[in-house]
Amino acid sequence: MTSSLWERIEPLLSRVERPARYIDSEWGAHRDSDASYRAALLYPDTYEVGMANQAIAILYDRLNAVDGVAAERVYLPWVDMAEQMRTQSVPLFTLETCAAVASCDLLGITLPYELTYSNILEALDLAGIPLRAADRSDADPLVVGGGPCAFNPEPIAPFFDAILVGEGEDAALEIVAAHRAAREQGYSREATLKELSRIPGVYVPALYSPNESGQGASALVAQAGAPEVVTKRVVADLGAYDTPTCPVVPFMDVVHDRVGVEVLRGCTRGCRFCQAGMVYRPVRERSADQIVREALAGIRCTGYDELSLTSLSTTDHSQLEEVMRRLTRRLEGTGISVSLPSLRVDAFSVSMARLVGGGRKSGLTFAPEAGTQRLRDVINKNVTEQDLLDTVSSAFTSGWRRVKLYFMIGLPTETDEDIEGIGRLVSKVFRAAREATPPQQRGGIRVGVSVSTFVPKAHTPFGFDGQISYHEVLRRQQVLRDSMPKKGIDLAYHDAQVSLLEGVMARGGRELADGIEAAWRGGARFDAWTEQFDLGLWTTALESVGLDPHAIATRSFDRGEPTPWGHISSGVGEGYLWHERERAFAGETTEDCSFDDCTGCGVCGDSGLGVDIVLGGERRGSR
Amino acid sequence: MAPGEFRLRVRYGKIGRLRHLSHLEVIHAIERGARRADLPYAVTRGFNPHMKLAFGPALPVATAGLSEYFDIWLTRYMPAEETLNRLAGAMPPDLTPVSSGYVGDDLPSLSAACNIALYEMRIEREDLDRGTFAKALDAVVRSGELTVQRKGKTKVFDLARSLSKEPRVSVDQTGVVVELAVRMGQEGSLRPEALVGAALSRMDAEGAAIAVTRIDTLIEDEKGCARPL
Repeated sequence: MTSSLWERIEPLLSRVERPARYIDSEWGAHRDSDASYRAALLYPDTYEVGMANQAIAILYDRLNAVDGVAAERVYLPWVDMAEQMRTQSVPLFTLETCAAVASCDLLGITLPYELTYSNILEALDLAGIPLRAADRSDADPLVVGGGPCAFNPEPIAPFFDAILVGEGEDAALEIVAAHRAAREQGYSREATLKELSRIPGVYVPALYSPNESGQGASALVAQAGAPEVVTKRVVADLGAYDTPTCPVVPFMDVVHDRVGVEVLRGCTRGCRFCQAGMVYRPVRERSADQIVREALAGIRCTGYDELSLTSLSTTDHSQLEEVMRRLTRRLEGTGISVSLPSLRVDAFSVSMARLVGGGRKSGLTFAPEAGTQRLRDVINKNVTEQDLLDTVSSAFTSGWRRVKLYFMIGLPTETDEDIEGIGRLVSKVFRAAREATPPQQRGGIRVGVSVSTFVPKAHTPFGFDGQISYHEVLRRQQVLRDSMPKKGIDLAYHDAQVSLLEGVMARGGRELADGIEAAWRGGARFDAWTEQFDLGLWTTALESVGLDPHAIATRSFDRGEPTPWGHISSGVGEGYLWHERERAFAGETTEDCSFDDCTGCGVCGDSGLGVDIVLGGERRGSR
Repeated sequence: MAPGEFRLRVRYGKIGRLRHLSHLEVIHAIERGARRADLPYAVTRGFNPHMKLAFGPALPVATAGLSEYFDIWLTRYMPAEETLNRLAGAMPPDLTPVSSGYVGDDLPSLSAACNIALYEMRIEREDLDRGTFAKALDAVVRSGELTVQRKGKTKVFDLARSLSKEPRVSVDQTGVVVELAVRMGQEGSLRPEALVGAALSRMDAEGAAIAVTRIDTLIEDEKGCARPL
C-alpha cells in the first residue's frame, strides 16, 4: 500500500532504531483504502509494547467486520522517530493505509496504565489534533478512550471527547454507529457528544462539572441529560464472542509474542488490593470446546510457535485440565508450546505447568503478595505459607530450578514485622527448594523476589486509603533489603519514584490534567521506560500548576466524602467495598463467589448489571 | 539430518518495505510462514524443539535482496512446486518465495557455501555526474585498501581480495547505478555502501541516500560461480 505520506516516511527509517515498528505489511493486517469511515486505534506506547494488547486486537477485528468501516493501528513513534517526524513535518500516521491520524473519523486510545498519560498528549500533538476536547472542531476526529484507566478517568478527562467504561465488544460498535448516524444527520460536535452520552457505559467529560457542594459520591456532577453515574459495560457471555484467531503477526520481537486465547474474563478471588479483580466481575468462562477450537485456529492462521491461555487467573478455569490435555495431544511433535500466564499457589497449578512445558522448565512465578499470614488475611489473598512451600516443593521435585515470587510493600496495616516476614518466607522457600532438589543440582537454584509498592486503586476496598509516603517507601525498602537472605536470591523492587507518580495518577482528579499537560510540555514522554522517566520534571510541572504530588498520592477519603471517580461505577457497590475494608482491618477473609456463596458485591442479577457467573464446567465448590 | 528427512532449498526475495527487516526478523517471519503453509517441517530434538531451518548470509537492515536462500528439512516428500505454492500463499507479499528444490544432504550449509554477493546500488542524488563518480570510485579501488569504521571498530579491507570483479557504473532514469561483486567470508564482508560512500566523499558528495539491493548470492569454487539452487 503506498500513499504520498509513506514516501515522506520511508527516508526517515534509515535514521531511526527498529524501523520494523513503522513499516506495516504484517500478516493479518486489514487494509481497506475505500472505507467511508476510518477508525485509528492507538496504543500509547511503542509498537512492540502495544502489539501485545488483546483489547486492540478484539476491537480491530470487530470494527473491520463492519461494512464501510476500516480500523487501523497506530503506535507512538519512539523519541528518535518523533523527532524526525517533527523536523520533516510528518504527522502521526496509521500503519495500514498510512493515513494521517487527523484525517480519520475516530481516534480510539487505549488507557492501559497511568504512566502512559504523557504519551497520549504526545500522540495528539504529533497528529496535529488539539490536546483539549474543548478546543476541537467538527473537522477533528472524535477522540475516545477506554481500558483499565477508564475507572478513574479524571486526570485525562479533558483530553477526551468520550471515554468508554468497561468492555468494548459491543459498545465500540455502538459508538461508531452513533457517530456515523450523527454525521449523516449533520450534527454539530456538541450534539454528537450528547448522543454518545446516551450509550450505556460512555462517559462524556464535557457534560460533567465540579461538584461545589462537597456532598455526594463524586467530585463531579452531571449536567442535565447526562447520566449521574456512568456504569461499566459488560458482556454477559464471553462465549458468544469469537477470539481474534487471525490477529496481526508482527515481524519484530514484541512483548507476549504469541497467539492468545482469553479463556475467562473476571476474577472473584476477592483480593482487596486488586482493581482488576473488582472491576472485571463477574467470572465468565469460555467452554473447553471453544478454547481448543480457537487455539488451534489461531495457531493455523498466525504460524506462531506459542499459544497462551490468558486471563487474570487461568488455573481457575473449571475445565483447564481438559483443555490442556486436548491441546498438548494435538500439538505433540509440532514444536508448538502452550503457556499459562499466571499460576495460583497450589499443586494443581504445578501439575498444569508440568503439562505445558514439555521439556522446557524455564521458571515458575507465584504471587504470595505479603510476607505474613496476618497481612495475607487482611488483603484476602487466600494462600497459606504451607500452600506456598508445598507448591515450591512440588515444582522443584518436578524439575524446576527457578521460581519467582511477587510481593508488595505498603499494603494497609503493614508493619515492619510483615516486611521482615517476606525475608523469612523467602528463606523457607529457598530451603524447601533445596530439599526437593538432588544435591548435585542445588547450585542452580534461583529464587527471584520482585517487590512492588502498593498503589491504592479506585473501586477497590483499599481505594479509600492513601498511598504510604515516598519517604516511608524508601524506609520500608531498606527494611526489606536488610531482612532478605542473599544466597540464591535475586531481589528486585519497584522504583519508589515511579510508584509515587502511579499513586498520583491513580488517585487524583481532573485538576491533574493541567499538570499532565505541563509535564508533557516540559518533555515528559515514555514515563514507563526507565531511561525516560524523570520525577523531577513531573514534580516541577505539577507544582507549576499548584499541585502537590505527595498530597494527592497520600490522600484518604472518609465514608461519604466525594471521590474523583464517584460518578463511575464498576457495578461493585460502594457499601460492599467499605464492608470489605472493615473485614480487612478485622483480619477476616472473604470466600470466592465462583466456588462459594454470593458475597453481595452487587454486580450480578437484575438489581446489578443483569449478568451472572458463567462457568464452562461444573461449579467447583469450596476447596 | 535424520534419516527420512528431505532438505528443501528455497530462494526468496526481501523487497519493498520489508527490506527494513533485520535478519532475525526475516527468520521469524519465514518460520511463521512455513507453519502457516503447513509444510511438513522437521523439528529438532532436545529440550527446546524448533523447526529445522538454516539461512544463507544475513542481509542488513534496509538492504533488499532478490536471491536469498534458506534450507528447510521436511519429514516427508512434497513436490517442490507444491511447497512453493503453499509458501507463496502464506508469506507477506514483499517476502516472496521465488523457487524451491531439493538438495543433497551432503552439501555444506548455505552460510558456509555462499561466498559471492552481487549488489546493485542506486545513488539517490539527482545532480550526481556518472563520469565524475566513476572516476572517484576507480580511484578508491586503485588505492587497494578501504578503512571502515563501524561500531567503534576499525577494519581495513584489501579491495583486490574483497571485490571479485571490477565495479560497473551506469546511469538510468533514476540516477547513477553501481554494480559490485563482493566476496563474503568468515572474517567479515565489505559493506558495499562503504565503498560507494568512500567514492562519494572523495567528490564531497557524502550523505547521499544509497538504495542497496543484493541481486544475487553465489557459490564460487574451482569450477566457477553458481547459484545455490
